[in-house]
Amino acid sequence: MEKAIVTLEINSSCTAWNYNGQRLAAGSSDGTLAIYDSADPASSNFSCASKFKVLETSILKVVWVPPEFGDAVACIGSDGSLSLWEEVVEDGDLIQWKLCKSFKRNSSTVLDIQFGVFSTSLKLVAAYSDGQVKIFELLDPLDLKDWQLQAEFENVIESASKIGQAFCLSATISWIPQRVESQRSSFVLGFNSDVPQLNSSKVWEFDEDHQRWLPVAELALPEDKDDRVLSVAWAPNIGRPYEVIAVATGKGISIWQVGSNPDSDGRLSLERVASLSGHNGEVWQMEWDMSGMTLATTGSDGVVKLWQANLNGAWQEQAIFEPAT
Amino acid sequence: MPGMASDSGDGNTSLVQYSPNPQPITYPLHHGLKPPISRLSISWARGNTLRVTVLRPPQPSAVPEEESGGSVVEVKIGDDGDGEIDDAQWRRIAYGSVTPFALLQSRKNSASTLSKMSAFDNSMWSQHIMEYSAEIKSLLGAPKLSYKSPIDNPKEILEDIRKPTCLKAAWELMDIFYADQQSQAWIPERLIDWLADYDCLLSGTQSSVHSKLVDFQKELVALQAVEDHPKYWEAISSALAIGWLEVVVKLLRLHGSYHYDQLGSRETENGLVEAVAVLLSKMPRLRPELKADKLGECYKSKPDFMKAWEKWRAQITKLDCSSFWLQCEHEETRSGLKSVLQILLGNSSSLSNATQQWIELYVAHFLYIRPFMAGLESMYDLAQKCMQMKPVHEHKLIRLLIGILGENPEVIIAECSRSFGPWMIAHAAELLTVGNIQAEILLSEPRYKLGGMCIEELNRLIYAQILSSHALTWQIAPIYLSSCMIQGMGLLETVLCKQALQNNQVLLKTIEICRLYELDVVSRKIMKIAGVHDWKHGKKGSGVFWLQQVRDEVRLSRIAKQLFDFVGKSVSDESFKQWEGLIELLGSESGTAGGLEFLNKYRDFRRSLHLVNSGVATDAAQKAAEALILLMKNPSTPQRFWLPILYDALKLLNWPKYPLFDVSQTNLMLNKLQELSMVKLRPDFVDADLPPEALNTVRLALGTNLGRAILKE
Repeated sequence: MEKAIVTLEINSSCTAWNYNGQRLAAGSSDGTLAIYDSADPASSNFSCASKFKVLETSILKVVWVPPEFGDAVACIGSDGSLSLWEEVVEDGDLIQWKLCKSFKRNSSTVLDIQFGVFSTSLKLVAAYSDGQVKIFELLDPLDLKDWQLQAEFENVIESASKIGQAFCLSATISWIPQRVESQRSSFVLGFNSDVPQLNSSKVWEFDEDHQRWLPVAELALPEDKDDRVLSVAWAPNIGRPYEVIAVATGKGISIWQVGSNPDSDGRLSLERVASLSGHNGEVWQMEWDMSGMTLATTGSDGVVKLWQANLNGAWQEQAIFEPAT
Repeated sequence: MPGMASDSGDGNTSLVQYSPNPQPITYPLHHGLKPPISRLSISWARGNTLRVTVLRPPQPSAVPEEESGGSVVEVKIGDDGDGEIDDAQWRRIAYGSVTPFALLQSRKNSASTLSKMSAFDNSMWSQHIMEYSAEIKSLLGAPKLSYKSPIDNPKEILEDIRKPTCLKAAWELMDIFYADQQSQAWIPERLIDWLADYDCLLSGTQSSVHSKLVDFQKELVALQAVEDHPKYWEAISSALAIGWLEVVVKLLRLHGSYHYDQLGSRETENGLVEAVAVLLSKMPRLRPELKADKLGECYKSKPDFMKAWEKWRAQITKLDCSSFWLQCEHEETRSGLKSVLQILLGNSSSLSNATQQWIELYVAHFLYIRPFMAGLESMYDLAQKCMQMKPVHEHKLIRLLIGILGENPEVIIAECSRSFGPWMIAHAAELLTVGNIQAEILLSEPRYKLGGMCIEELNRLIYAQILSSHALTWQIAPIYLSSCMIQGMGLLETVLCKQALQNNQVLLKTIEICRLYELDVVSRKIMKIAGVHDWKHGKKGSGVFWLQQVRDEVRLSRIAKQLFDFVGKSVSDESFKQWEGLIELLGSESGTAGGLEFLNKYRDFRRSLHLVNSGVATDAAQKAAEALILLMKNPSTPQRFWLPILYDALKLLNWPKYPLFDVSQTNLMLNKLQELSMVKLRPDFVDADLPPEALNTVRLALGTNLGRAILKE
């Protein structure tokens, strides 16, 4: 039933698969990045195709750039740096991975990033350790060098309220999964920080008319608003009249149904349809399958769980995968 | 919902959809790494494939024996894997079922466009369903050979055949009750046949008549004078109870009284055995036909059958009361044959003793007690009765049968998807809904909690998702997805966008599917991905081709800029050759070039200019001037290149011997420059990489040239 398809090198610290599951990028604690490829789309034998030094410190997270912008990855380092690397063939047939952008650093460090494609432009949301959220936009679709800071804000609903110095341990971002004809630019973001207002996951949407980002929903019950958010995952929507977003906090995993269009005061209708026990320990990661009907999660209890709703809409834990030697 | 975790070996471990509070099943995930494990991460690949990265903690540098730092393990969720059908066979079934499914869908669509289903349509529809079911049935395996009497080995009572699959048995059950309208009148007889074919599947944990016969077969080889052994008579009774008449006759003929040396002394005994054998081989059956090698006599109409039945029963009774029994000296034969007669006479306790499982007893009832049984309700009552008399076997086929007899579509749907997998439910739902309003509503009612789709669609989506996980089957997923009105196209888009597009064959196939389903937006995205990939991986011509197909003006104009810069710089360069072909390609098809065709003219211009620069005389300058005018007149020359081109041409503008451009030509260029100055004020203006004084230098040169041209004219 299970099959080992890649053996990773020693000191590997994180992995990421590209859009079609044909390439794996694996970061390591010594700052090298290895790319594993499979020659044939039908085969699941992967071997290391490229290996190069990205950082002097450990790589914490690797994220692939959407494929219509090239074969490229963004790397977050344990020093809080963020850099973009791209595979190109120049001068003959030599495949090279080139550094195309190193994002400027200040006192804060990058905690999480995600790419979103909005009509033809590529956007990058980055969440920082001081609670700031920055959105960059790619200027030239064929060149990953030039990025422009499009917006910068804090993850709060009422921007008037002043928050003090924030210290964030982690952040989690999930874009609305891209449907080819969809024109919405929206993502959900939550923090794990010492400032309660920042924490709860908020859905941000780009307001085309006024060219600004607006919070359109807060995915937390009134009594849970201060909970530190560990992971968010926006489910693919292949035809539902509503969106589904999973949010993991220390209390477990909540599944939210979110209306597709904002009401008159600019907010999306919300319903928490499930509150699941989650993991014994904290939730590390949540991933929806391509139909948006099965949620896979991992956590510090070291198991993978699958969650599905039954025909009556009740969410249930369906399977547990427990690593075994 | 979308499926069950597969497991090899035992089909019962799949996830339960219908039970109210299912306990999650824990599966081990073998990764082959030494502990400790520091982290897991997950990623969904195509379809329902989940990839789990298992990482070990970083090692201090001095541990050389450790070789791997982690492993990625792939798990297929919700596969049809109970191990009874291998992957290649599954793919054969998957591919084979596409045509019947698609044909049925198209017939359904054309029927619904006619809107009203008249009585004639209904019968037509039944005909379609029957054909559909028969085709699928034939896919699941060739019909099982019946028990023939092999001459070579008289002691082989059961033929050694390949074990049929539960999947086929399940399909056949659905076929009997829902699809095959012609057999509605003799469902009991079809169940008898069904059990004859599949009784061997039911003997997993519990013994069955089949397993009993198999055991006896093993002993038989070593037995002398079989009629002395009670097991011989038990085997005969059991086989008879479930209607395996051929086996019974064959066993009877092994009776010692048939031996030449004993015929004389055991004449009466042999006569009795033969009389029973003859009687049972003339058993009347209420069915249209029997296979050639089957014993019994068929009657299509009930009155004829009843007449024959009464007559046959009378003969048995007569034999039962015959005085010959008193002359039969062999005790075992007498009692054995007597119990055979009791079975033929429908003695319920004899039937119960001769059978192992309730389903066998059930079939025995059809054969000997209630041969006129009709209607699901009474069949269900009888099943209940039989279940009280025998332990109920927890077999998936039996659960399915109980669901069918109980007319409970929910149970049937749940059982089909739970025990037989997504393929089964996606295809069998069509049978279930024939003339069954309750099932129809259950399956096709839109449900908000399923995002507006119905259960039928959900099942197809789940199946399509499984198809799309494999490189050899994803191409047939669209056929199922296109029959899903609410969410099918959405999933199809995702499936297509997740293909291995860097592979040319896959790319072309994906684009073809997009065209077939009119998914223009998807194919644009796919071609864009391919174009960017090729452009950035040294396949520039192919990159431009795909981007031209999409008419991606933004990217093409960036490419034009790059080429322009390159052509501008490298005219004297050897590597110009490499670009020349590309420019040729771009220029050859005007219209699709997306602003690149002017590069062709630009190349001519640069060539002549190059000759001018290398000192070749006025002829070359004249040619370069002509090329420049052509470029300036050409509406496809992008505005942003006007100034760089003119700047390149400074030498021509300042040609010392005489002005190369006449008044109108100079005016044309001046107008372009004027236009450019206006544009420069617009916010989206992108400045070329030229010295800041470039514009003024060109303007001055043009002014001078104008003056000289006027003077010359």
